[in-house]
Amino acid sequence: MTKIPLYISNGHAYVWTVEDASELRSKHRICGTLSGTLPHLSQQNFFLGLPLLLMPEEVVLLVENGIAVMVDDATATREPSASDLREWDESRKQVVAEQIEQWQQRETARQALEMTNGQGKGRMSEDALQKRKERLERKAREEGAANTIDENLVISRPTPGPVLQPQSSYMVQIPSTSLSHSWYQPRRYDTLDSAKQAGIWQFPSTLEERASYHVFRDLWEKGHFLGSGIKFGGEFLVYPGDPLRYHSHFVASVLPSHSAEIRPMEIVAHGRLVTATKKSHLLCGWDEETGKVTYLSLEWSGFG
Amino acid sequence: YFKISSLTKKYPHLSGALFQTFNDLLLAQRWYDLEIRETLTAKHVIIEGKRPETHLTHIVVPCHLSDSLSMKWLTSIFEDLNDVPELYLAIISEDSSIVYYRISSGIVKPQS
Repeated sequence: MTKIPLYISNGHAYVWTVEDASELRSKHRICGTLSGTLPHLSQQNFFLGLPLLLMPEEVVLLVENGIAVMVDDATATREPSASDLREWDESRKQVVAEQIEQWQQRETARQALEMTNGQGKGRMSEDALQKRKERLERKAREEGAANTIDENLVISRPTPGPVLQPQSSYMVQIPSTSLSHSWYQPRRYDTLDSAKQAGIWQFPSTLEERASYHVFRDLWEKGHFLGSGIKFGGEFLVYPGDPLRYHSHFVASVLPSHSAEIRPMEIVAHGRLVTATKKSHLLCGWDEETGKVTYLSLEWSGFG
Repeated sequence: YFKISSLTKKYPHLSGALFQTFNDLLLAQRWYDLEIRETLTAKHVIIEGKRPETHLTHIVVPCHLSDSLSMKWLTSIFEDLNDVPELYLAIISEDSSIVYYRISSGIVKPQS
């Protein structure tokens, strides 16, 4: 089974295809956040698109479980060689030639149909057809001269010979990803250690980060869906099912050790907010010595 | 307040919170069958009593707003109380306001 590629750029992990994003969500309960916006919309808060941005906890879990692989995005593309570019140019010419051929076939068929139709409106006279042909040939020659690539390259396009019925426009496809180019050769990392050594990924590196990761992992293993808790003043939101279908039941906060201080004021703040939104607060204590997470659920008493 | 006064010497820092909580539960919240107990490892004092709404026995743990709590402290209280499923933490402020919050052991869905 092929691993899902996570493109690491500046310490962030992105998922770039719809298939990967939906597989992560439906098969692995990893939702991430969509972060793509439209270039001409100055403020966008809703209806975001790809790429999907993953939380560092989600990345570590996926890599440790062998579901995903980290791809070093920044160094993935090398400078194309002269032969690389020749091949690329040839394939583009091939696409254009095919389009012209198809167009010619359609044109021949269309004109044959027109001539047999007799006095159809819009039927051109012989003179008009000849003038049109000359005009198109002239245009193709001009375009042919302008279609050489960068002058630094030792590639020149041969001037087009007389074409029977030249086409003045054709489509050139620009692929939306670099994946098909021969000069795209990404370095992939299957383990966190190898990614750390390569310098592209550091999480988790502090006790707080480790605690956060282990709490995330423990809750995920218990079957929950998890999201960012920023909107409710916690580390994570814990959902009983897909966030598109359910509201979260818990706001989780992470305590990096069992002796970490909990101030009564925090209990008041967490408890009050959470009860007002029909949730519970989950105090999650990470014990590095035993490797276990302890949970306490908190809400307002309803009296007092 | 005989029971409370006998404990204030042993737990001087808790005497205010204990007194306020006891009074509030008895007179304002109208709890009954109130008992005051000490916890072993946590070295704390708790109040046990019956709620008029449920007629069930619940445990209240008083503390001050300025106290420093921890996961270790809370879990040891649960252990001292023979792993009771839930308790109420009573938080007392300087002006003697009390707020009660329910703390349950484990992952417990919201009950409200």
